Amino acid sequence: MLKAKIDADVFKESIDVISALVTECRVHTENDGILTRAVDTANVAMVALGLDKSAFSSYEASPDQIGLDINKMKNIIGMMSKGEPLTLDLPEGEKKLKLSFGGYRYSITLLDVNTIRKDPNPPNIELPGKAVLSGEDLNSAIKAAAVISDKVALGIDPDTEIFYMEAEGDTDHIKLEIGSGDLRSLTPVKVRSLFSLDYLKDMGRVMGRADEVEIQLGNDHPVKFAFDIANGRGHVEYLLAPRIEAD
Amino acid sequence: MLCAECKGRKGLCGLVRCPVISRFQAQVKARQGGRSYMGGAPSVFVGSYNYPQVSGGPLMTGEPDSPTEWVAHGYGIEEIVGIRARTIRGNSQIRQIRDGIEEIAISSRPLDVEVHFERPVSFNLTFNDIVAPVGLRGEIKKMDVIDNPRVERAVDRIVSDTDLPATAAASALHRSEVDVHQITQLLTAGLLGKRRRIVPTRWAITAVDDTISKALRKEISRHPPLEEIQIFHATLHGNQICCLLLPGAWKFEMIEIWRENSLWSQGTETIIVDGEGATKSGYSPLAGAYYSARLAVTEYLSRIRRSAQVLIIRQVGNDYWAPLGTWVVREATRQALSTPPVICESVETGINAASGMLGSSRWRHHSRLIPEIMSQRSLFDF
Repeated sequence: MLKAKIDADVFKESIDVISALVTECRVHTENDGILTRAVDTANVAMVALGLDKSAFSSYEASPDQIGLDINKMKNIIGMMSKGEPLTLDLPEGEKKLKLSFGGYRYSITLLDVNTIRKDPNPPNIELPGKAVLSGEDLNSAIKAAAVISDKVALGIDPDTEIFYMEAEGDTDHIKLEIGSGDLRSLTPVKVRSLFSLDYLKDMGRVMGRADEVEIQLGNDHPVKFAFDIANGRGHVEYLLAPRIEAD
Repeated sequence: MLCAECKGRKGLCGLVRCPVISRFQAQVKARQGGRSYMGGAPSVFVGSYNYPQVSGGPLMTGEPDSPTEWVAHGYGIEEIVGIRARTIRGNSQIRQIRDGIEEIAISSRPLDVEVHFERPVSFNLTFNDIVAPVGLRGEIKKMDVIDNPRVERAVDRIVSDTDLPATAAASALHRSEVDVHQITQLLTAGLLGKRRRIVPTRWAITAVDDTISKALRKEISRHPPLEEIQIFHATLHGNQICCLLLPGAWKFEMIEIWRENSLWSQGTETIIVDGEGATKSGYSPLAGAYYSARLAVTEYLSRIRRSAQVLIIRQVGNDYWAPLGTWVVREATRQALSTPPVICESVETGINAASGMLGSSRWRHHSRLIPEIMSQRSLFDF
C-alpha cells in the first residue's frame, strides 16, 4: 500500500537518478520512506536511492515491493510542470498505480516484480581515498574527458593534495587537477582507477545538479559517488566498476 | 579508404563518374530490347534522383526477384547479375502510374503487366552499394496491370491502417513474418505510415533495416545476457561474415575488411569500423551494410531471447566482383547465425578463433569493443 503526495521536481529528480543506469527497477516502500537498489545489465554500475518520508508532503505506506517501468515514468513526468504536487496512490493488493497531477489522472500498470532482477548485494570493499567537490565541477570534468577518450582515470595525489582526472585518447590527452580551492574536503591517500566514460556521462548529468558529491576511490577498485537530493531528504549512491588495462 | 567509404555513391574523389563502377560496367555487354513488355512485374523501384520529384516504376522480369529467393535457389553472383541484366526497369513520373505501383508492391506474387515504352528499352546496367543492380531501362508510355494482386492478411491489415506510424507498421509486419524485401516494397510505394510518401528504394531498404532492428534492439535490452561466448561464420558471394557474441548488455560493432584487389580497396587492404551502445547517432560510415547486419543479429538475439555484445566482421575478397546490394550482408549474416555456434571459453580464444576463420588478425587493432570488453571489470569481481 502506498498513499503519498510529493513535489513534482523531487519525483522527477529521483526518476532521473535511476534512469541513468536502468530501465526498470524494484522499489521498496517502507514505513519511513522508499528505497531502491539496482544494477545495470552488464553488472558494471549500481544505483542505491533512498527517499525519506520527510521528502514527501504526506506519506503513508506499508512494506511492499513495486515494479516500476522507469522509461514509462520518464515519459509521463515530461508532462508535469514545475512545483506541481503529484499524488501517488496504490491500494493494498492492486497492480495499478494511480498517479495524478494538474488535471491528469494516470493509472499505470506496474511490472511483475518477479520479472525484474533481484536487488544486488553491494560488494564489500574498502575505498580509502575521499574527495568532496561540487556536482557541477564533476560533471564538467566528465564532459571534458569524453571529448578526448572513452575512458578516464580518477585519482588523488597526496603530496600536492589534489584530486585529478586524466584521459588518454588515440592522439590526445587531457588532465584536470582540482586543488584545495575547489575541493570541499580531501582524504589524501594515493589512489587511482580507470573508468568507462559511457557510464560516467549518464551519471554526471544527474550529479551535475547536486550541490556536493563525495567521491570514494581505491586502486583499481570501483568508485563510489554519494550525494543528496530533495534538500537532503533523499540520498543517492552510485557504484561503478573500474576498467583494468592489461599490459 | 576513400573508395571503401564512398562505394560510388558520393563522388568523394571529385570525379563525375565513379571509375571503379565505370570500369566494371564496360565489361558487361549491351543488349537490345523491344518497345513493349508483357509479363511478370514482381516489384517496384523508385530512384532517389531529383528528390522529391522522383521517378520510378515496375521492375519487369519473369525470373525470381527477391534476395530470399535467390539465396533459396542458391544462385551465384553471375546468375544474379544475369537475371538483373535481363530485368527491365520501367520509368515514369510516379503520379501517372501510382495505382499500378501500389498494386505491384502490395501483392505477394508477381503481377502480370502490359507496358508500352516511348522508345525501345535501352541497356544500361547500373550498380550501387545498397540496391541490387538493374540492366534494362524504358520510359513508360502506358502501363496496365492485367492481374489481381494477392495480398497477405497481415499486409492488408497494416496497409489499410492510416493511423499507424511507419516505424510501428514496419515492426508489426516483421513480427507477422512478412519478408523484409516486401516491407521495403510497401515503404517505397508509399503504403505505410500516417503521411504517406513515395520513398526512393535505396533509402527505403536502409530505413526498413534500421527501423526494425531499432525496435528489436529495444526488446533485446530487456532480455537476460547470453551465457557463453558464441562464434558464427558463413560466406556468401565472396562476403565472409564472422559474428562474435559475448555476454553483456547490447553493444554492436562492425568491422569491414576490403581485401587488397577487392571492389573498393584500390590495391591495399582497407578496414573501416563503426559501432554503437544503447543508441546510435548519425549515419554509419559503413552505409547500408551496417544496418543490414544489425537487423540479422537482432533477429537472432530476439529469437533466443538474450542480450549480447556483438562484433561482426565482414571480409570481402575479390570474388565479390559486382556490388549486389546490402541484402548480401543481411543474408550472409542470417546464414551464419543459422548454423550451430562455436562456443569459446574466453574472449581471447574467441578472438583467436575469429582470426582463424578469417585468416588474419589485422582487424583486431581496429576494434574499440574488444579492448573495452577485455578491460571492464564487473562489480561482482570485488
